[in-house]
Amino acid sequence: MTVTRRLLLSAAGAALIVMPVMTEAQNLPRNIRMVIGSSSTGGDTYQNASILADALSEHLGVNVRVDPVGASEAFKALARDSRGTTIMMHHDQSYLQELYGVEGSPDIFEEFTVGPTISVNPGNAYLVPADSPYQTIEDVLAAAEAGERVRVAIQPGGVSEIGFTAMRNAARMSAPGSEDNIVPVNTGDQADKNQAMWDDLADVINGSIQANEQFTQLPENDPTAMRFVWITATPETLNQAPEAGLGETDRAEMLSFAAPEVSVPMTEEEDFTFDKEFFLMFNIETDPALVEAIDTAMGEIYAEGEIQQRFLDAFFTPQYRPMAEAQEHLRAKNDDYETIISELKSE
Amino acid sequence: MDLLAHLIDPWFLGLIFGGTLMGIMFGAIPGMTATMAVAVCLPLTFPLGLVNSLALLLSLYVGGITGGLVPAILLGIPGTPSSITTTFDGFPMAKRGEGERALKIAIVASVVGGLVSLVALYFFAPVLAQFAIKFSYVEKFLIIFFALTVMAALSSDMLLGIFSGVLGIFLSLVGTYDITNGGNGHTRLIPPGMEYWLDGGFALLPVLIGIFGVTVILEEAEIGMPRGQSLKDIEVGPHSRFSFSVFRGQWLNLIRSGGIGTFVGILPGVGGSAASILSYTAAKTTSRHPERFGKGEPAGVIASEAGNNGLTGGALVPLLSLGIPGDSTTALLIGAFALQGIQVGPLFIGQNAETWNAMIVAMLLSNLVMLVTMFFAIRWFAMVIAVPKQILYPFILMMCVIGAYTINYGIIFDVWTLLIFGLFGWLMAKLRLEVAPFIIGFILGPSAEIYFVKSLESFGDLTIFFTKSWIAVVLWILIAASVAGSIAISRRNARMISPSA
Repeated sequence: MTVTRRLLLSAAGAALIVMPVMTEAQNLPRNIRMVIGSSSTGGDTYQNASILADALSEHLGVNVRVDPVGASEAFKALARDSRGTTIMMHHDQSYLQELYGVEGSPDIFEEFTVGPTISVNPGNAYLVPADSPYQTIEDVLAAAEAGERVRVAIQPGGVSEIGFTAMRNAARMSAPGSEDNIVPVNTGDQADKNQAMWDDLADVINGSIQANEQFTQLPENDPTAMRFVWITATPETLNQAPEAGLGETDRAEMLSFAAPEVSVPMTEEEDFTFDKEFFLMFNIETDPALVEAIDTAMGEIYAEGEIQQRFLDAFFTPQYRPMAEAQEHLRAKNDDYETIISELKSE
Repeated sequence: MDLLAHLIDPWFLGLIFGGTLMGIMFGAIPGMTATMAVAVCLPLTFPLGLVNSLALLLSLYVGGITGGLVPAILLGIPGTPSSITTTFDGFPMAKRGEGERALKIAIVASVVGGLVSLVALYFFAPVLAQFAIKFSYVEKFLIIFFALTVMAALSSDMLLGIFSGVLGIFLSLVGTYDITNGGNGHTRLIPPGMEYWLDGGFALLPVLIGIFGVTVILEEAEIGMPRGQSLKDIEVGPHSRFSFSVFRGQWLNLIRSGGIGTFVGILPGVGGSAASILSYTAAKTTSRHPERFGKGEPAGVIASEAGNNGLTGGALVPLLSLGIPGDSTTALLIGAFALQGIQVGPLFIGQNAETWNAMIVAMLLSNLVMLVTMFFAIRWFAMVIAVPKQILYPFILMMCVIGAYTINYGIIFDVWTLLIFGLFGWLMAKLRLEVAPFIIGFILGPSAEIYFVKSLESFGDLTIFFTKSWIAVVLWILIAASVAGSIAISRRNARMISPSA
């Protein structure tokens, strides 16, 4: 082959195009866009994503940028880009919304590659007004069993609803038919759920330790005061939280609202628990070597041990599971919840 | 570190100065917004510490909201959604050579509005927050409905105006009735085959800058190659000299507008644009010369700018007292607290007195920096209208495209939305449809729908809108007054036209 000037120029041009896109060392894109399933920068998804993005940027020497585009646009962006320059971070909502039949929800296990888990937000909780007659979640279930109508404010179709589903499932197990006394009040974000309580539209609301803890410290005569009745996280996860807890609520007190101290049965032998887990997803056609490079890098980052403190400082529990293990774990979780949801639907 | 230490901390002061200037620049470039300025800087704040990050972000917020007045007045393109009403009178003033005067009026009004809301925030935050929680879905719907009645008052032809407004509401509802807003997650009003692109609906900012920005460019292109105005046109002459005497008789307007902005700000979910819309309407309907509004009336600029800057303090009330953001920009501020590991809720002010005081000082200083820098930079801002249009408009179009693409972090359909609505705005003018009511309908439509449906879902039937609370009754009185005022203005306009006809 004759080496012509045109050939040299073409080769140089191609090299210039490729150079900024790929890093030589790991064949990773130089710029990675991490889309997340939330359009808020104030929420837990953005916080977790930005901690991971910082760590990946530093470890891999690439630029990882977090774009809070929301679930629908994030899935679209991920489906479009098989080069690996777009990855997605989201939590259990990504498969729960499909289980709940939310329009346009993909089956993440079929349409994407589920990647490693990152962390857990142990804060998913249920609260009642400070002057509520219900002292515990068991009181709520007992009231439903006794024929009392209990209104629960949730945002339907995901993490907010799964605890509500568990309550209905527990009521059904204890007294078939009583689950119909636990009714949803479908609201929007946390502000709407709080407002539903203050407007006396809801007896119980879904919330979180982070967003609602301060309301639990108000004097009982304050019209906005609340009490925790149930924290859905597993005791193993809560036990990893800082001993001082968050705000004025220490870890011991948090554990008193969680299984096994309070019981919302999922089966005859097992209590229902729910850890809100964050994990990565990739385009299904992305080069497996590239996916593996990110998985390996995460393993190394967690082995170094610094990222754990950043998660703990922000009241999250670091929980890295390598990709294969994470896929198995999340699939099992999906299957468990699918059973409960479909059994309740079929009645 | 106490308050005095902050005041002599060069970092703290430098971040306020830099943040305000950067915010003004973001607000002043069509397509860029205060929200975008805060979003861009948020990830950079982690190493700064809480007080310094808040100083930067709050300054960006104040600067960004205010900067929106520059393109609104000089180009007729609102820099931020909350400066739409500034275009109504500011742009006509600029076209008759009073751009500099209009800018100075707007800046002073902005500062007064900002300070009114800051006073309310500092002294009454917990009380206002307790009042805000009395607004359930019903009261929030009535507030939105009240703002929608403005459509009639802002129309030159009431029937066409209302039609345009309803069309705006209709188009705003295209897409998913979003679960995160309390909807059912179903899509609606999407033409077959367009579901992939339209499931998120049309984003507000691309629609806004399309209608105001791209439409102007198309209209100018239709006229041909116009000359830019010469520098002589913006010379301060007797007809356009700014004097504080313009505020004579306007103090009530200023305080009322700042108060309305603050009040709207404390209501989460009502939306910042409603602040300036309501302030503007209040000024128009109570004016002795409502017919001058929309044609270059300084009182309109005052109301709009005092209203939208009144929002800045108001929106922080629910954020710092309930942990609930009052608007999209303060929603981003929660991120700053979260990144620093600080809880925001009802105990925040009591437990974080130092941070709270520093925030108030930062906002106060930011307002002052904004006043001084903008007041003296006005000559340079005003010169933009002397730039030849063949240079200015391609630049504006480019910024609009960049703004549309980046506002939702890189969604290409937002660029198409910009162009589609630019063309649509151009067609609207041909069909004599009215832009202002259309945009107001588009902005308020989704909130109106959600609060209306949620009111019925929660409380059962339509009578609840009249019986829910004393607040609902007061709002109905205001709605009735607004409708009556609109009809009176319309009749008066008709009478003024008929003798000359």
